[in-house]
Amino acid sequence: MPAVASPVRDPAWQVSRGAVGLWVTEGIIGAVVLAIGAAAFLLFVPASVGGPVPFLRWAIPILVAVDAVVTVGVRPRLRYRVHRWEVTDEAVYTLTGWLSRTWTLVPISRIQTVDVTRGVMQQLFGLASVAVLTASSEGTVRVPHLEADVAQRVADDLARRAAQVRDQAT
Amino acid sequence: MTELPGRRTSPRILLVHTVTFRQARQFVPALIPLVAVTGFGGGRTTIILLAVGITLLSLLTATLTWWRFSYADGSSAVVVTRGLLSRSVRTVPTDRIRGVEVETPLLHRLFGLVRVRIDAAAGAVSGNDEELVVDGVPRDEGDRLRTAVLSRRAAPATEPGVDGVVAPEPPDEEFARFDNRWLLYAPLVGSYLAIPAAAVGAGFRLLDELGHNVRPELKRLDLGGGWVPAVSIAGVLLLLLAVGAVIGAALVNWGFTLDRRGGSLIAVRGLLTRRHTELEIDRIRGGTVSEGLGMRWMRAARINALVTGLGDAARRGQLLPLGPRASAWALIRRLVDDPGPLVAHPPAARRRSIVRAVATGLLVSGVGIAATVAAGWWWILAAGIGLTVLGVPLGLGRYASLGHAAGPRSFSVRSGWLVREQVILQRRAVVGWRVRQSFFQRRAGLATVVACVGAGTGGYAAVDLAAADVASFTAAASEPWAAEFAHR
Repeated sequence: MPAVASPVRDPAWQVSRGAVGLWVTEGIIGAVVLAIGAAAFLLFVPASVGGPVPFLRWAIPILVAVDAVVTVGVRPRLRYRVHRWEVTDEAVYTLTGWLSRTWTLVPISRIQTVDVTRGVMQQLFGLASVAVLTASSEGTVRVPHLEADVAQRVADDLARRAAQVRDQAT
Repeated sequence: MTELPGRRTSPRILLVHTVTFRQARQFVPALIPLVAVTGFGGGRTTIILLAVGITLLSLLTATLTWWRFSYADGSSAVVVTRGLLSRSVRTVPTDRIRGVEVETPLLHRLFGLVRVRIDAAAGAVSGNDEELVVDGVPRDEGDRLRTAVLSRRAAPATEPGVDGVVAPEPPDEEFARFDNRWLLYAPLVGSYLAIPAAAVGAGFRLLDELGHNVRPELKRLDLGGGWVPAVSIAGVLLLLLAVGAVIGAALVNWGFTLDRRGGSLIAVRGLLTRRHTELEIDRIRGGTVSEGLGMRWMRAARINALVTGLGDAARRGQLLPLGPRASAWALIRRLVDDPGPLVAHPPAARRRSIVRAVATGLLVSGVGIAATVAAGWWWILAAGIGLTVLGVPLGLGRYASLGHAAGPRSFSVRSGWLVREQVILQRRAVVGWRVRQSFFQRRAGLATVVACVGAGTGGYAAVDLAAADVASFTAAASEPWAAEFAHR
């Protein structure tokens, strides 16, 4: 973990291990799309066009390659190490990000709705995300990539507890 | 709920709508090809016929709309029925109503009518769909409707009195009154400067549509160069802009008053269109004091209330459209506890602010060095150095704006340089915290803390707080649940 201490406590629980596989797959798909785009550029834009094209002809493939290494090889693992979440007696708490980090804390008493989403890719990996919404557009907690049954249980539990302790829901 | 007799708007509104082509406006896109086919160039008769035809069409649509429109305010809901061919019935439960606004445009005033907007915003959703508009009722009926709806919402248990006898009570307390001298601040505010600019833009569009034959010969105005005429023209334009801003501000804010009446704040303003906005004090979570660059010189400020579930909050929440800083602060202290003086952010925040402000200049300088060496384009380098030098005061200014404070019942954050905005919020306003730390902030031991609030823009940030202070600030500025942030 980072040499510098976090500004606030880190949440306790890690996301599902399957998230790494999902992020790697997403990275591969993105890299393939970019590679096709770069190949099309090399094929259809000859160096004789002039201007910055000769420079771009070698810069673009390098950028695409670096991006592929980062999104497939580095970012999923870093994200997995950073991402954490926790549901305490009073609040939902998450930490997301890889280079920049975001901690979000929302008290259960201010929860308005709880959503569970399962994207196409998530279904392949048996994952689901929980989104906790409040009256504020900024105050949305997203817990990404939990095991589907865990996500459902968390969402049900949060919705039940929010209904019990809801104060002036603003 | 019981079936209520629908009330109608006043037939006098037909005249207003006919003159303003309110309903007929939607047929304009259809009319243009029609006009093009028949040919506009058919002489005077065609134009007169067209004018009469359009007016008749306008009258017809206005009549149909009026005939098919009815509203009813019951004890539990307001129902609006409308629609020419397909009927639409909208029922808004009284407890969902966030506010009622009575406005009186100029033409309405001539006919003794008002327009009532009933705001039924749901959460953070905004848009015109969340509003019921009852356009064109007599003034008394407008006041009755507003009082009836609001009193039922405030006290749903008690039976409302007989309809129509709820007289407007006198104000309990005057919060603010606009001093016309404050209009002189208007040229310092961007949004008022935009009013004359918009008018000029509209004028040019009109000129464009008039076609070449009607357009005056602008070429003759072409001046023979030289500095003196150019400077004097610029001076005159600036003067016109300033005068336009003052006039614009006067139109919107004339006779502004803010009164407390029972549990509500009532703002009335406007010269041609009188607006009557009501804010429930219980829903006010705080306010923003904004001071633009020019306003800071003149010690002027504007105040907006942060109200939960208020649609179109930027306009409706205005508590002081323009005024001296001292009056602004006196007003906001009556609504929210003063959290005390702001605490400056650590020196690392100043370094970061300067680095961010000069980064663009340095980048341009870097490109400029390359360009000077390669092509002799020294001016890119000169621009880059200029930007870098200007970046230093900009960075210092941005840093000087930063500050935060947490009091016993409220807290405050401030940021922004071009428009410096200080937000003062009650502790109970916070529905969540978001702490962000970029890679560079982590290296510098800083973090940005966003208070998530169900009002205003939804989030208010304390930028570049010392990382070590985050947990104590959040714990002090919101209810006990924020203690979860503390290291265990």
